[in-house]
Amino acid sequence: MRTRTSLLGLGFVSPALALLFAFFLMPVVLTTVFAFTNMSTATGITGGSHVITGNLLRDLGNAGIDNDVITALGEASFSVTSETLAAAADAGVEPRFLGEIEARLMGQNFEDARSFESALKSLPSRPTRIRELKLATEPFERSILNTRYASRADMEAAITSMAPDAPAETISTIAEASYTGWRWIDGGNFQTLLDRPETIRIVLNTVFYVAATLAFNVFVGLFLAITTFYLPKTGAGFFSVLWLLPRITPVVLYAVMWKWFTWDNGFLYVIAEQLGLPAFNYMKGSVPTAWATIILVNGFVGASFGMILFSGALRAIPIQQLWASEVDGASRWQQIRQIILPQLRWPILFVTSYQTLSLLSSYEQIWLTTNGGPGSTTTVWALEAFNTALNNYTGNLEYGMGAAMALILVAVGLVLSILYLRMFRFDELVNKPRIEF
Amino acid sequence: MQVTLKDFTKTFDDMTVIDKMNLTVEDGEMLALLGPSGCGKSTTLFAICGIHRINGGQILFGTRDVSNVPSQKRNVGVVFQNYALYPHLTVSENIAFPLSVRGDDKAKIEREVRAIAELTHIEELLARRPAQLSGGQQQRVALARALVRKPDVLLLDEPLANLDAKLRLEMRSEIRRIQLETGITAILVTHDQVEAMSMCDRIAIMNKGEILQIATPTDMYRAPVNKFVAGFLGNPPIVMLEGKASGDGRFIVNGGAGLPLPSRLANIPGDTPLSLGVRPEHFGAAGASQVSGTITFVEPQGRETLFDVTLADGVVLRSIQPAREDVALGHKVAWPLDAEKLLAFDATGQAV
Repeated sequence: MRTRTSLLGLGFVSPALALLFAFFLMPVVLTTVFAFTNMSTATGITGGSHVITGNLLRDLGNAGIDNDVITALGEASFSVTSETLAAAADAGVEPRFLGEIEARLMGQNFEDARSFESALKSLPSRPTRIRELKLATEPFERSILNTRYASRADMEAAITSMAPDAPAETISTIAEASYTGWRWIDGGNFQTLLDRPETIRIVLNTVFYVAATLAFNVFVGLFLAITTFYLPKTGAGFFSVLWLLPRITPVVLYAVMWKWFTWDNGFLYVIAEQLGLPAFNYMKGSVPTAWATIILVNGFVGASFGMILFSGALRAIPIQQLWASEVDGASRWQQIRQIILPQLRWPILFVTSYQTLSLLSSYEQIWLTTNGGPGSTTTVWALEAFNTALNNYTGNLEYGMGAAMALILVAVGLVLSILYLRMFRFDELVNKPRIEF
Repeated sequence: MQVTLKDFTKTFDDMTVIDKMNLTVEDGEMLALLGPSGCGKSTTLFAICGIHRINGGQILFGTRDVSNVPSQKRNVGVVFQNYALYPHLTVSENIAFPLSVRGDDKAKIEREVRAIAELTHIEELLARRPAQLSGGQQQRVALARALVRKPDVLLLDEPLANLDAKLRLEMRSEIRRIQLETGITAILVTHDQVEAMSMCDRIAIMNKGEILQIATPTDMYRAPVNKFVAGFLGNPPIVMLEGKASGDGRFIVNGGAGLPLPSRLANIPGDTPLSLGVRPEHFGAAGASQVSGTITFVEPQGRETLFDVTLADGVVLRSIQPAREDVALGHKVAWPLDAEKLLAFDATGQAV
């Protein structure tokens, strides 16, 4: 009986568990996995093949691989085999000429284009024009440059055939370097981040953005909640709705409205011009105004969120407590400071921690407004991660690096949540009250 | 300090809940505002402490007109029904609150809190938080907080309503003891006649925003001014019989039998419509006239037993007597009726 009920419970929970696994755990796990790879558009996310490119050869040369081997790999050779003949036939080389090549040169190898060309020139039905002759040599060219080999063994065999004298170790190194798919690079991404000079800039930007926006959210939210609390009911309702607008407006529309508000010939611009104040594109025209825009754009969204929560918590304080504090002689300010605010500790904690985490990972408003500019002065970590992984201008999306950046964000978020919970003595807050009625 | 309400009027939106009420609470007196819910007693209390603005008339503390003084400056102590303790502060911080917002120095606050905690017997609870207290303890803390700055008036809004029966008895005498010890003027708002009668010097009974009668508990019980007051006081309640005077000093119940009227009403003309109020203790104990009927209900209450006696014509009288087992359901009894103590009311409900 006992087992059956617990199995039944498990049965009921399993859809939730499956969803949790699919939509929460898997993304985190995948992010973690990606963070330790060099995945990008270039490597793809499935396996790759082995290719030696000119660039790779140059890199290998710089890395100290024997120059003879490099030269040998870079060289092309010409050979007449049934395969190259078939390729030549496909390429449209005249059949009679082709027949002569097969009859006279079958099985021969030529070190370079010139010797092969002179061999071809000796054939009776050679093309009269030299250009056609040169075109006819192309199908017979054999080079491992830019040739894809499916497996590492194939690549090693190819290298050996091109540079028979190369030591096994060198061959192995070259084959390894020729892999085009993604590979594990341990902490390589994190090391790169540490080494990059702009990392510190982005970190400072992020800290400033989160701290300033958070302060705006909490203080304005509190201010609005408390002022509307003391307003007569009808007015309070109107103001609440007014402040909710930033939150209920679709994010893109909201960003566009801010653009109208701050851009050249926008609302602010026109007013500033009339007043003789500096008028420019406030959103992107200077660093302080860009920051102000970003903080206000995000701040107003968060402030209404704070306001709703704080208002709810305020209404949960029994009115008699406020009456009691008044007859006890507390002024309005003392009432707010000593009775209301201490009892808003939990919602303040919630808004602070929730907003820290959501601000840390939010970039969409910044992306839609300043897009991190001017320059990268307002680029925050999440925006940089997004651009790295999903929105690279050059088209090479660095999934691995982006995931590493995201993983750092997750870790920071976790540490912060734990800190918040300790700071606000969460365990005490959730203690069962022992009040008696 | 004497508290005086002069033509006190209170309206909520367009509804006048209290119209020109007059009330004087003497210095050092404890007065109960007693009435059913919605009668305006709490409204009156909140007007006195300044939580509600008044819409007309005057409120005087002694000779000081406080009608337009904000509650912060009225120097009143209030105990709320739910105690309204500040949950985030310790007991001593709660009690100290009225002093600390006033900016008293630490040593003085400490001394005052100690003294008031001693008076209310909560010295050992000072470090706790309200959530760690029982209902009775919270009540004491609320009382201490209300008294700590020596207010001119102590206002108690249904202070015992949230306590269980045993604690209620205990706190009833505790509050009265503290009030007598401090000699503070106090106003108690309650819907419980027992609280009002047992704790207060005088009772002001209210209904529908009006004070019907102000008297000492005994006087009010013995001589209620109207049917409402008579019915509100007394447990088990008074039995009200409708009928008319016979003209020869008796009372004819609608539908039949006659009962004697008190001698002071001997000269009332015949056919005057009357209501006769018979309290349970006035039937079955002593009296000149005998009334007989059948016992139709018995409710033993331990020390006392409550009987319903149905008379021949169907009228039911209630009797409360020291516990007795010699009579039982269905027995025919003839018990004395103390006619002199019966209450009579005219057609408008006023006592005659």
